Amino acid sequence: MVSNKMKERILEKDQIKQFHEDLARYYNFYAPTKVKGNFVFKKITNPDDIDLNYLNSKTPPKEILFPRMETLFTYKMDGKEIEIEPRTDLEEKNIIFGIRPCDAYSFNLLENFFNFGEFKDDIFLKKKENTIIMGLGCNSPRSTCFCTSLDYNGHPHRKDDVDIFLTDLGEKYLVNPISDKGKAIIDKLAWLSEANEKEVQKAVELSDEAESQISTELDLENTADILDPNFNHPLWGEVSENCIGCGTCTFLCPTCTCFDVVDEVDQYNDKGKRVRLWDTCQFCQYSLETSGHNPRNSKIERCRNRVLHKFSYYPKNYNMIGCVGCGRCIQLCPVNNDLREIIKKINLIKNKSKKEEVTVA
Amino acid sequence: MVINMGNIQAENEEIQKNMREVARNLLNDKKVDMIIGYAQGTVPLSSSPIFIRNVEEVDNLIWDNLCYVNLARYVVPPLTEFVDNEKVNLKVGIVSRGCVARSLIHLAKEKQVNTENIKIIGIPCNGVVNRRRIEKELGEKEVLELSVSNDKVIVKGKDFEKELPYQDYLNELCKTCKVKSPPMSSSLSDVIVGDSLEVTSVEDDFADLVNFESQAPDEKWKVIKELLSDCTRCYACRQACPMCYCNLCFVDQNKPIWFGKTSDISDIIVFHLVRAMHMAGRCVGCGSCSSVCPMGIDLKIINRKLEKIVKERFDFTAGLDLEVMPPMMTQKMDDSEDFMLGEH
Repeated sequence: MVSNKMKERILEKDQIKQFHEDLARYYNFYAPTKVKGNFVFKKITNPDDIDLNYLNSKTPPKEILFPRMETLFTYKMDGKEIEIEPRTDLEEKNIIFGIRPCDAYSFNLLENFFNFGEFKDDIFLKKKENTIIMGLGCNSPRSTCFCTSLDYNGHPHRKDDVDIFLTDLGEKYLVNPISDKGKAIIDKLAWLSEANEKEVQKAVELSDEAESQISTELDLENTADILDPNFNHPLWGEVSENCIGCGTCTFLCPTCTCFDVVDEVDQYNDKGKRVRLWDTCQFCQYSLETSGHNPRNSKIERCRNRVLHKFSYYPKNYNMIGCVGCGRCIQLCPVNNDLREIIKKINLIKNKSKKEEVTVA
Repeated sequence: MVINMGNIQAENEEIQKNMREVARNLLNDKKVDMIIGYAQGTVPLSSSPIFIRNVEEVDNLIWDNLCYVNLARYVVPPLTEFVDNEKVNLKVGIVSRGCVARSLIHLAKEKQVNTENIKIIGIPCNGVVNRRRIEKELGEKEVLELSVSNDKVIVKGKDFEKELPYQDYLNELCKTCKVKSPPMSSSLSDVIVGDSLEVTSVEDDFADLVNFESQAPDEKWKVIKELLSDCTRCYACRQACPMCYCNLCFVDQNKPIWFGKTSDISDIIVFHLVRAMHMAGRCVGCGSCSSVCPMGIDLKIINRKLEKIVKERFDFTAGLDLEVMPPMMTQKMDDSEDFMLGEH
């Protein structure tokens, strides 16, 4: 596909209001905003609420397309007759503005899951299709960020997964149209001025500087291969010891997709709704079977599952690591059970077994 | 216990030195098989519970103002898997500030902890820093280092340094805490090692509740609704609470489903308030639930209100004297029962 390179534009910070006004007419405009001290993505009606001066959101933006609670459909009952009322909001167009590159990439992982095999999740896929992603480069990554260690060429200024990419130049944003969808939007916003060479150059410098600030380097190349034969390694007892079994690491993970489906029945009014709720492999009931048997009965198995799912099953099933390196689980774990430390310990197993091989040889 | 506000840092260092000494002796003398304490966290504003079995590892124990998880959590179900796996009568030494010890004492009354199997390593606590508040207030900036000096909390990041008044930035529940060290009573003289405090009852004017209580019911409802509105139902509060040791929490039961699992605000409130009901006369106000909440929800109003009701109605404070039974475990023939409908 030959696509003309479109010139970068400039969005002054005081033009965000205009930007929002022009787009919110046609799109549900989601952006980071501060709610009770936490940065979260919300549908913005008042552009003054947009706050891009953030490191990353506390809850991952996956909740825009895959919310903590989502009504799949509602129904009415008349005796044995059931009338299903389908969703009407799926054709709505969305913009996710100011998303970080790691989280933008997470949508690829989510899409992989919801689009895998025979059973497609029409709700998620439709919403994803109708969503424009506008990324914002990280000029100042957190100490817990490790996107550059991951298999997707993660980078604080990665542009591959967005339609439009923004770089914060201080007083203004450099607006970089990436996809055709993104270019079409920029075309319509004719009032955006063209960027000059200096501004484009500044963005490149900021990108390089951001990369140099990432302090965590993890070797993930062979992790899947090490994990496979070490299912019963004593390491799992060690790394799960202080886990208290809450859902923080998984609920706030941009790539976790597990959900539970429940019917909320209103018997008095003969109606109900089927909702899906976030679920997590960290809860003791998650894998409990009807027989009463629980294959992941202790936290050793549950903690192991989280790591294996992301670093072994995902690579095997989808040929990609199920982690984007955002560091939320590290930042927010109540007992500081640090994923980076777990990975390092896994890699030590590798080194050990290699050494043993050498000795045997 | 009078806290010398002059030099918290020096105090912590002293506490840490003594704590390691006590832990070392307990392990060396085979009085315990394991020490549960805190290790240095790998991220700013954190600490990490650690389990020490070898005396050589004792120096990994730390004490600072970020040792927020209530370690009593680890000796009651469902987190006792390691006990079941290894040996049933594992003897454990637990690093305990006042509230952790009070949890253990209360759990002993509920027959969840056998005092013969634990040693309470008493710490004279000088308060836990409110990590969530600091995080929220700095918002866009990342704290890379926190230290305490004199009466200031000093937070440092890439391009900033901020001094915060120590007393203001303590956990809300630490501000009203009156039992900084493990409460000693004769039946515990063999259990508590290290620092302790003679205390049989606690006087409290609950001045911090005046504001909330003066509000009309619908205003109070608004406060609770606003407080809990961004709960993600990760249950970190429940999982971190030593009093939440049910095999199956009421909210997890699904045959039948008693309580809604959705994030509708009514379901969220029902979860938190029903959990609160189960805490009456049991919550010691350690603040662990608030420290661990990823969204920074502070349950202090609920915790304090419970404490006040139980204090006023039953003159009882949770986790003080091992011999004094909690109201929810006591049946008295002359209980007024004025909540019953019909004739008395």
